Amino acid sequence: MTGLAPPAVRVRPAAGSAGGRSGSLGWMALPALAIFVAFGVVPLVGVLVLSFTRWDGIGAIHPAGLDSWRTVLADPALPHALWVTFLVMALSWAFQTPMSLLMGVFLAGHQRYREILAVIYVVPLLLSSAALAITYKALLDPNFGLGVGLGFSFLVQDWLGRGTLALGVVVFVVSWQFIPFHALIYQGGVRQIPVTLYEAAQIDGAGRVRQFFSITLPQLKYTIITSSTLMVVGSLTFFDLIFVLTEGGPGDATRVLALDMYKRGFQANLMGPASAIAVILVLVGLALALLLRRLGGRDASASQQEGM
Amino acid sequence: MAHSAMSRRSFLNLAAGTGAGVALAACGSSGPGQGGGGGEATYWYLTGAPGEQIRTNTVNRFNKANSDSQIKPTAFENDAYKTKIRTAIGAGQAPTIIWGWGGGGLKSWVDAGQVDDLTDWFAQNAAVKDRLFPSSFGAATVNGKIYAMPCETVEPIVLFYDKRAFDKIKAVPPQSWGEIMALVPKFNAAGIAPFSLAGQSRWTNMMWLEFLFDRIGGPEVFQAVFDGEKGAWSNPAALDALTKVQDLIKANGFVKGFSSVVADANADQALLYTGKAAMMLHGTWTYGSMAEEGGDFVSGGNLGFMNFPPVEGGKGDPSNTVGNPGQYLAISSKATAEQKETAKKFFSTAVLDDTEITEWLDTGGVPIVKGSESKISSSKAPEFLTFVNETASKAKVFAQSWDQALSPTAAEKLLDNIAKLFQLSITPQQYADNMNQVIGQ
Amino acid sequence: MATLTTGADRAAEAPPGQGPRGRARRAAVGRFNWLGGLAGWVWLVIVVVPLYWIVITSLKARASYYAQNPLAPPSDPTLENYRSVIESDFARYFFNSVVVTAGAVVPAVLVSFMAAYAIIRGAAGSRFLRWANVLFLMGLAIPLQATIIPVYLIIIRLRLYDTLLAIILPSIAFAVPLSVLVLANFVRDVPKELFESMRMDGATEWRTLWHLAFPLTRPALVTVSIYNGLSIWNGFLLPLILTQSPEQRTLPLALWTFQGEYGVNVPAVLASVVLATLPILVLYALGRRQLLSGLTLGFGK
Repeated sequence: MTGLAPPAVRVRPAAGSAGGRSGSLGWMALPALAIFVAFGVVPLVGVLVLSFTRWDGIGAIHPAGLDSWRTVLADPALPHALWVTFLVMALSWAFQTPMSLLMGVFLAGHQRYREILAVIYVVPLLLSSAALAITYKALLDPNFGLGVGLGFSFLVQDWLGRGTLALGVVVFVVSWQFIPFHALIYQGGVRQIPVTLYEAAQIDGAGRVRQFFSITLPQLKYTIITSSTLMVVGSLTFFDLIFVLTEGGPGDATRVLALDMYKRGFQANLMGPASAIAVILVLVGLALALLLRRLGGRDASASQQEGM
Repeated sequence: MAHSAMSRRSFLNLAAGTGAGVALAACGSSGPGQGGGGGEATYWYLTGAPGEQIRTNTVNRFNKANSDSQIKPTAFENDAYKTKIRTAIGAGQAPTIIWGWGGGGLKSWVDAGQVDDLTDWFAQNAAVKDRLFPSSFGAATVNGKIYAMPCETVEPIVLFYDKRAFDKIKAVPPQSWGEIMALVPKFNAAGIAPFSLAGQSRWTNMMWLEFLFDRIGGPEVFQAVFDGEKGAWSNPAALDALTKVQDLIKANGFVKGFSSVVADANADQALLYTGKAAMMLHGTWTYGSMAEEGGDFVSGGNLGFMNFPPVEGGKGDPSNTVGNPGQYLAISSKATAEQKETAKKFFSTAVLDDTEITEWLDTGGVPIVKGSESKISSSKAPEFLTFVNETASKAKVFAQSWDQALSPTAAEKLLDNIAKLFQLSITPQQYADNMNQVIGQ
Repeated sequence: MATLTTGADRAAEAPPGQGPRGRARRAAVGRFNWLGGLAGWVWLVIVVVPLYWIVITSLKARASYYAQNPLAPPSDPTLENYRSVIESDFARYFFNSVVVTAGAVVPAVLVSFMAAYAIIRGAAGSRFLRWANVLFLMGLAIPLQATIIPVYLIIIRLRLYDTLLAIILPSIAFAVPLSVLVLANFVRDVPKELFESMRMDGATEWRTLWHLAFPLTRPALVTVSIYNGLSIWNGFLLPLILTQSPEQRTLPLALWTFQGEYGVNVPAVLASVVLATLPILVLYALGRRQLLSGLTLGFGK
């Protein structure tokens, strides 16, 4: 669950509701603001500052101008890390979205057994990424793991030893954990679709598939954007899972930006370049959030017919 | 063993270059660690059988014998250890006694002014110094000064093999690189992986390169890298070694899925003693855990061992070896005077005392104390220990592991590229180009 | 699989309060959704098999782990693995995780609630609050890891390194933006007339906050607490970098360490996974409904 990014919802100031005394309310926001500034905004500025310094983590911090940025931008590891980050993001989105949509529609039914299924589905969500990674590492072991025992040769692969397979495993484990979560979001979305739309479609003789594409899907547009935002921005934070599962390997096949930052900073002791990577990570996060907000903002009202 | 110190020392006598930054001391905390009320010293070391238990036992004996000066031990696992130590040092919370591998890691602590110079102390306590292998001081020395107390065992890397596997395919252990390559298809045909390798840990892959570089081009090849000579990785011998290791990978010389096997979990050793792999290039420290965890594999006489064989036409002396010339205990400069006193007392009275020597010998380690021969012959594993002792002492050159000798920054880059090389995702030429760019860092 | 239902026979069971939306699916369930059903059941297998494997393997002796079929139930179940995990100071790690989670969630939710209230009630008339709101919104898009290096530096300078507080403080900070957002959405739903009548009675904003808004947004508060609690309980990066000694270790970090220490003893490693997850499973069993609806409620809005 770590660091799931939130949906893009705007807070509309409730105009006039506070009358003329609103000024006196400011102090109530202060405690939250103070701690957020101290451990959120200050570090954010700090990471920018550190990216212009040289620091090995234990010695003194020296100003170093653009050195770190030059190193990082010239290093082919950066485009690679960006590419891997993008792949993890895109693949996990492409796999999770149809699956959770399908299951969300399925779970929206009020049958008792479906509710029980939902209860079971959620269990992986409760496991920590560390626990998940450790489990899958043992499960996929090509010499002692599940595949060997079952005798399914297609399961006996060098899962974490080949670049493409390891990337696939990361995407699968992420999906294993989060599909239920997104399915629940879709379940909520489906249950909000006005029943009259389906009744009308049935009278028109529209089939199940057509109903799905002409009613369910358009009506879920806003939900899809919310869920996608969570997936996409959240995928920037798959540090723990990848760290424990592959440590970015094999080679650098699963070294996403966040892991690249950690390795440069805390293993190679290059805090300056690591900070530059961190700044890039922040910029990517902000850009994605803005993009998705723009996508979502426009049509949000169209699919929110029922108010709520 | 004395002559073998040469290469390491020249590794380490490299001028420091960068000025020491002590500035963090200004903002650091008042003293190390929490807890240690007053004079209690702290001591961090590695987990893992059998070393962890021996280290703990030594501390316990010391604490029992010295009620007025106590040491609080903490153990961390291998892959995380270096990072842990470093973040703690950076936070001004280093333990009093820092366990390490010497070499480039120690040098980076020295450069930051985080560990004490022990040269004078050793001069005053000559007896402590004189009982240890002189070669073990190479990796403890930075800029001509001694910054750490050598301890524990000498650990060359050797070729282990499973005699049962060789019986099965009716073959003998390889005496040359050519024979290694010839054995590969035979073992594969018999359903046994030729070599076990914990590729995810990366430094395990490095051991192969260390030997191939040495056997093909001699110790000068890596020495040139260490000395920061431009283009040193493009040496034809280096490219030959890099190509040979990829040939072995392409021939399926390593166990299926080696890139996802982790050495910390001793899974590579398990592959050998469960009969899934025939051979394993590894440090001698694995003997103890294979004996402990491998059922009757070791006690039943199934484990064979030898030095890495020569490569046809290679320049390196076949007696050369690579590994850890010892382990090292440094004292944090941020510790209180009282804690430092405790640490020094620990060094002179407890480290490698008779009980500890026996314990190391019992688990297959050769302590770095002179004159252990008689104890070796009366130990539980005289054959293996004699082999280790001779490999270490008869080596023309006993080089320190690359990742320990280099600075942490250079080592990380090295391990990174080695991992890619073993993935076959870069060619030997690309490897050389990548590494040439960071030479001398 | 054969549960074909019609709208008619299910309608009677519709829970009260579902209103027209509750009927929405009824009409559509006329024919069974084969594709969805297939996906649902296949997914059940995909979810259950690894979970089942974790549990049975944790009950196996180490030797039989290698010898037995991995999916066969243990031939002679043993609690030995659990015993050795518990003996490795498990209680302490558990306690640390509880301290960190409670220590971060309670203040995070309270300060976020106050901020959410202030923003909804006062943003119209206060540039400061509008500015704070924008700041929180921006905080949503920042991945936590990106700031870890300066956070590490700050923690060192505050001399909090290797304390539980070092994990708690940044955890609060990073829980604030999302909590404010979700809570604000709920505070906005409180009918304005209620605020108005409180004001007429001469209640202060402080009193209104606790006596009106707090009880009315309780479901949202619980949801936000669960959500934050889960991510802090499972947090890995902050403990990894900001603590050192085993005395301050939290469960996820301990799991990772167990893995290094127990080596190839997979059953013991999995026993530690089960033990670390058990408390959450128990909470989940108790508050399942709240969690399921909460997870969707917060995001479905």
